[in-house]
Amino acid sequence: MKKYTSYIALLFLVLLLAACGSEDEGELQESSSGEDSGEQETRVVEHEMGETKISGQPEKVVALEFSFVDNLASLGVSPVGIADDNDEERIIEPIREKIEDYTSVGTRKQPSLEVISSLEPDLIIADMQRHKDIYDQLSDIAPTIILPSLAADYDGIIDSFQTVSTAMGMEDKGEEVLADHKEKMEELRSQVPEDENRSVLPAVVADSGYFAHNMESYTGSLLESIGLKNAIQSGDDRYNKINLEQLVEFDPDVMFHMSSGDQTVVTEWENNDLYQDISAVENGEVHEVDRNMWSRFRGLISSEKILEDAVQYLYEGR
Amino acid sequence: MNQMIRTPKRWLGLLFVLLIGVTYLSIGVGAVWIGPAGIFEYLIGGDAAGQAYIIENFRLPRIVVGLLAGMGLGLSGAVLQGVIRNPLASPDVIGITKGAGLAAAAVILLYPGLPVLALPAAAFSGAGIVMIGLYVFAFRRGVQPAALALIGIALGAVCQAGIQFLTIKFPLETNAALVWLTGSVWGKDWTDVLLLAPFILIVAPVTWLLSRKLDVLNLGDDVAEGLGEPVQKARLALLALAVVLAGAAVAVVGTLGFVGLIAPHIARQIVGNRHTYLIPASALTGALLLVTADSLGRGLFPPTEVPAGIFTAVIGAPYFLFLLRKIQKS
Repeated sequence: MKKYTSYIALLFLVLLLAACGSEDEGELQESSSGEDSGEQETRVVEHEMGETKISGQPEKVVALEFSFVDNLASLGVSPVGIADDNDEERIIEPIREKIEDYTSVGTRKQPSLEVISSLEPDLIIADMQRHKDIYDQLSDIAPTIILPSLAADYDGIIDSFQTVSTAMGMEDKGEEVLADHKEKMEELRSQVPEDENRSVLPAVVADSGYFAHNMESYTGSLLESIGLKNAIQSGDDRYNKINLEQLVEFDPDVMFHMSSGDQTVVTEWENNDLYQDISAVENGEVHEVDRNMWSRFRGLISSEKILEDAVQYLYEGR
Repeated sequence: MNQMIRTPKRWLGLLFVLLIGVTYLSIGVGAVWIGPAGIFEYLIGGDAAGQAYIIENFRLPRIVVGLLAGMGLGLSGAVLQGVIRNPLASPDVIGITKGAGLAAAAVILLYPGLPVLALPAAAFSGAGIVMIGLYVFAFRRGVQPAALALIGIALGAVCQAGIQFLTIKFPLETNAALVWLTGSVWGKDWTDVLLLAPFILIVAPVTWLLSRKLDVLNLGDDVAEGLGEPVQKARLALLALAVVLAGAAVAVVGTLGFVGLIAPHIARQIVGNRHTYLIPASALTGALLLVTADSLGRGLFPPTEVPAGIFTAVIGAPYFLFLLRKIQKS
């Protein structure tokens, strides 16, 4: 009996010591990483995981989210590596035209560090939610900035673009691109009549459910920015899995469906009278849109394209 | 078969050699393939045709984490199967990994801004909380192995419900949590090795020292008491060790399924029922399973990384069915 108590007491003591020891180690590594950049003019870029020093103009850039591919393409830069989920088709047409051949570095969830390092990049742009755990390893390969993409709204996307242009040493070009973008957005906004009062609802429609994007989500906030009110103005979650009853309750006047797969929950709902009574369905304002463009890209070019799509569906289709 | 039983030591040695061999080859597997000769060159200090950086920073830490976590899960399963006297026991079944999973999912989904180390800390605490629950519900009035298993399943179900709730509440962010919930050695670095190594390297030998207790417990409570073994105390101590081993492993690699269940079974087929051999054999088998699964995940479809947890489930589930059938027949 005594034997156990002493075994276990000893065990916990040692574990405690070990745990303290390894934590120190971690801090040491963190503070030393990212400081091995060259002597050229260096600038400090602030991002979600701290500050990163970048010198000169990076030439080989690896993008681990589609947003950053969009940002780079807007700046006229072609990334050498993209985490494209091993599917080139996921890069939307208007962006594929702008970039050259690249190497796939695997999935966005688990990009291959080995491939990234073999590309010898001089800048890596990664997503806060997906990649913060591998920040140390990425920083060891090349200066790395971590930005919100998966969790960002439209304003967040604009902020990220500015950070990317600073990191690329292309602030002036960035300003120019952004000015053009804003002009384009103004123009699109002007096509929406002042008295537009229809509510819209963008949603990812999958076999596993109906995922509504509310007014704070990326697509939702983007549509709001040109005066298209989202049907879901409540709730603290940007993306909600809702059922048919809730959808009827929100009763959107226009629905944009980003479908994944042929068989979705909506296929089933279509046979239901409740679904047929939703204003959008009654008015024939249910529009199928490209999921890659509408929800995966989250960048400047895709934002413009989404709004062009929306305006076309809303005002030219009739 | 007879020979098998006569020489478990030799089998143990063979298992060890096999593990070394697989580990060695595993260093070469990935988006960039390196032959055995290149690996040797690296090990004696060469740069392996410029691949030294990849080996040192990506492959080795992953492999070492895989070895340690595999050992932890294998050991934990072997101890639990001994304590509960049920071949179906494993860290998954009695809720330890589910507790860790719930805590980790909560950190990933509710507090995405927390520092990186918060995740393993939370997961480990989650496993600890389940252990406390087991103690409160099962141990206070003298535990029966069957009750322990059932209470563990109930606690696991509560945690699973919590995980489900979180994934439905945050459908899109769930992506980030899924990698962890599947279990993967992807992206592990030397910091993770340092985090995990002390737990496994200290607890594993202690577990081995206690393997005699497991043999005695297996004789049944009455016989064990008769042999002068304080049954309840021994059970609690062993359970605590199993929780530490599985908790530490899961905290770093995520809720990898099936290793804790399968490794002890394979080990039992090889070295028999005596825990002096079964304990180390389970550790080696667990390590072997995880390193193999991770090598497959890395090497089959580069640059896509398949989480090791998928392979352990793909290998594990059919083997388990085969095993059940075999047990039924005999």
